[in-house]
Amino acid sequence: MKWALRALAAAAAAVAAACGPARLQLPAALSPVPRPDAATPLQAGFARVDITPPPGVGLAGNGPESGRARGYRLRLYARVLVLADGGGNRLAIVVADLPLGSALLQRRVAAVTAPRDGIGVDRLVIAVTHTHAGPGHYFDATAYNDQGSSVVGYDPVMVDSLAARIARAVHAAVADLRPARVAWGSRRVWGYTRIRSLPAMLRNIPPPTAAADAPPGLFPEYRLVDPELSMLRVDQLDPADGRYHPGGAFSIFAMHGTGNSPVNDLLDADIHGIVERRLERHIDRDLNQRGDTPFVPRAFYLFANGAEGDVSPAWPPQSRCSVPELTVLHVLDGPFTRPQWTWRSPTAARVAACQHAARQAIEWIGAALGDSAVRLFDALGDAVSDRMELARAFVTVPLRDSALALGICPTPALGMSALAGADDSHSRVEGWKLLGVFDVGLEQGSNNSSGSGCHGQKRTMLQQLFGDLPNRMLVAGQLPAYAQFTVLRLGSRLIGTLPAEATTTAGREMRSRMLAAASARGLPVTAALILGLTNGYMEYITTPEEYTAQYYEGGSMLYGPGEAAMVSRTLVRLVTQLSGGDSLPSARVPPLRLEVGTRRKIVPRRRSGPEPVPAFLKAWCSGDTLYARLRLGSVGDWAVPTGDVSPQPRVAIVGDGADRPVLSWDDDPLFELRLEDGRHGIATWELRWSGAVRGRYRVRVGDRESDAIACQGGRLSDN
Amino acid sequence: MQADALGERVVWSGLAYLLVVLPPAAAQVAARFDVSTSTRYVWHGISRAAGATAQPSLAAGLRVGRLSVEGGAVRHYELDRVTAGEISEIGAGAGHRGEDDLWGRAALEVGPARLDGGVVRYLFHGDSTRGGLGAGRNTTELYAALSISGTYFNPSLEAWWDVDRVHGAYLRAAVSGPLLGWPFPPYVFTFFDGDIGLNLGQGPDVSRPGKPANFADRGITHVGIGAEMQLRGGPGPGAGSLTFSVGFRSQINIDDATRFNGLGKTNDIVVWAWTGVTLVLGGERQSR
Repeated sequence: MKWALRALAAAAAAVAAACGPARLQLPAALSPVPRPDAATPLQAGFARVDITPPPGVGLAGNGPESGRARGYRLRLYARVLVLADGGGNRLAIVVADLPLGSALLQRRVAAVTAPRDGIGVDRLVIAVTHTHAGPGHYFDATAYNDQGSSVVGYDPVMVDSLAARIARAVHAAVADLRPARVAWGSRRVWGYTRIRSLPAMLRNIPPPTAAADAPPGLFPEYRLVDPELSMLRVDQLDPADGRYHPGGAFSIFAMHGTGNSPVNDLLDADIHGIVERRLERHIDRDLNQRGDTPFVPRAFYLFANGAEGDVSPAWPPQSRCSVPELTVLHVLDGPFTRPQWTWRSPTAARVAACQHAARQAIEWIGAALGDSAVRLFDALGDAVSDRMELARAFVTVPLRDSALALGICPTPALGMSALAGADDSHSRVEGWKLLGVFDVGLEQGSNNSSGSGCHGQKRTMLQQLFGDLPNRMLVAGQLPAYAQFTVLRLGSRLIGTLPAEATTTAGREMRSRMLAAASARGLPVTAALILGLTNGYMEYITTPEEYTAQYYEGGSMLYGPGEAAMVSRTLVRLVTQLSGGDSLPSARVPPLRLEVGTRRKIVPRRRSGPEPVPAFLKAWCSGDTLYARLRLGSVGDWAVPTGDVSPQPRVAIVGDGADRPVLSWDDDPLFELRLEDGRHGIATWELRWSGAVRGRYRVRVGDRESDAIACQGGRLSDN
Repeated sequence: MQADALGERVVWSGLAYLLVVLPPAAAQVAARFDVSTSTRYVWHGISRAAGATAQPSLAAGLRVGRLSVEGGAVRHYELDRVTAGEISEIGAGAGHRGEDDLWGRAALEVGPARLDGGVVRYLFHGDSTRGGLGAGRNTTELYAALSISGTYFNPSLEAWWDVDRVHGAYLRAAVSGPLLGWPFPPYVFTFFDGDIGLNLGQGPDVSRPGKPANFADRGITHVGIGAEMQLRGGPGPGAGSLTFSVGFRSQINIDDATRFNGLGKTNDIVVWAWTGVTLVLGGERQSR
């Protein structure tokens, strides 16, 4: 009988382990003690790696409205800038085209780069552009793996693949270290971003005021943004000619990566991807006069996010598709069987219309911001210098264990307004009432009217009926338990990195306090910046006043109204601890004990066997769009299987002339590749290129070309 | 019996025709298989069996634009051993198969409204000498229904005409509404439903003694309310799904026929629970 009980207990434990969230423990790999070499000048190295996963992964950032990726448009890259000085300091800044930061990813990368490149967790900043058309499944908390996308789960293959690729890029950037000249500058860019939660922002005391140079014709939500585009221009010494050439730049600008509609089925670098490519191509073609510009630019532009918590790109309302509706599904529900319920999505025609509007907005905003970046980069050309002080301070904060000392709530909670979605992009449950009558709080401004308890005005799930119990039992355990903060000093700028999205006003206050602390310490810095979505993710940070409004951002401030003050104090403390040429005590970086959600096999695995031979199955033109069906690779292939940067496109459109000019390729806003069929692991794609004019084209894969395709050009509506 | 067997063959042939022969290119073809078990079988408010029952069913349909044509068959099994005086379709000590139902209908959707018209053929296999329902109770009903899909409430009104045995009308008004819709797969839907029955012509006729009747009096027959939870996985709209359902239902019995609960026994309120599995192949694509 005992053996039976033991077997039963073992089986129950196995089932519990299989069904429960995956748990991980991650130690921190700290940077080794640097080896100073006073003779070494300021150095900079860049690298880029392709991180476009295969179709089938979930697109994260819009919760249940995020679908499964069927292909890609602009490829996803991680760009790396490594800076080094004579004091032996090395700092690596990574900006990845990904939706959210991840402490898990950062620690995995650091585990490789600390021993090999001298860059541990304390010198490694992995920021993300926040594209909501990037993959999930690599996050450090259950909530984001299991509810960040409609494709549910944590996949270790995603973490391993991203970590290996980013670590490889850091290594390549270290190998690229060359004497460098740098310059900081900034420029205000108005009209392309807006405050999406204006009523919450207007609660701040004193009320927010627009900058003096804000164009008078703009609406208030456009005038109250932080329009600053900050840029570090980097020129590198070319050993071949002994001269410094523009190499790239690192920027911070506050704007959500939400150009794409939530109803989207393509991986895409979004607006940030267009901005990055625009400056990179400018540096290649216009400044360095490289006529042989390869498929991927040689220059590097790391376009990171700032305090963008309440900042949307200026996309038009028609670029957001309707959300699915809960409705009865009459599928063969005869007299004796019951109707089923479903989330019914909008029609394909409606989706196509809003996606088209979103694409137009992405291109328009991306081009405008890219042009601003180009002008700023050019303006900094005369200001570059080979002197820049480097320092850093880093800490990992266990939020739950240290809650009392930190002045935050010990149990994280999600407000009901967070479930309703942002004010300009509602979720499917926004405004829903029980039986159409009883308010359950699924709306902006949904308050806990008593304001009692640690979370104050935040109204949590079923709080009126059961108090804090539902949140404790169903929600809190899925939310992040750690936060990692860094303060970098890069010459005249302080950069505070947050594993979060700070609102404009909260970010401004943090910057002000950091600057005051630096001044008190006598540091010669002129500005402080916030780099958001870095080395982890703990959602939003608002001011206490904004928190009382309980808009989407306030409802998403997980550890209560004291969180903004806690973050400010932490950043100020890090400013006072800034140092270079040393190693950090391990006490500042405790191991992470993470629950990461349901472990699932989501990233398609490569098929074994020989590589399928590419084949063109069909091609035709309709209006300005060229379509082709082609067989290419296996469904488990990443866009670049090795993790290097591809020297040439997978698929290109070429003209039909004798010289076969390359007109577009699979890293172009007008070029889309969707997986149509994956039977037997062989990928059949549908290509759409919407840049056709009257003429003849061919599709090229490697050294193979399709037959010529005749296009009439022009929009269908013009015909 | 031969006529019923013929009718059964006609329905099966019709289902095959719907699936194989009829579909034009733009049609959406769907098939549905259900197996459910219940602690009671109640139809139009009348308890037909009070023990554990099982109901396998299948249906197939064809949808072209707003119009759909569907048909199906249901079997009702009583799983318990029936004792004398117990409410049952099969009768005391008999087998397990109590009833077969064949149905067909056409439906038209116009915006949130849906109009159904159909026919149901009821075939009873019980032993009437042992208290069951035998072939003498076989009948046919025509029905029409209007239902509206809303955000919070989905009302429907059904009108039934027995055209074979009882020759009378029965109305049923129902409403359902969502309580919870979990937006991540596997999807979970919780909703309530309620109904009320109104007998207009399926009661006894004093001018025609001996005329068969389903109800004792003209008027409201019952008021029911229930709740259900569905757990669904599958590839999604247009491709099919597998749904596990569990629910309960309670009913206030008003008419004597609905209160009847076996020989010499009546119940003013009955409560029963049920669970089922539904497999849908094909089906509706995105269409809002």
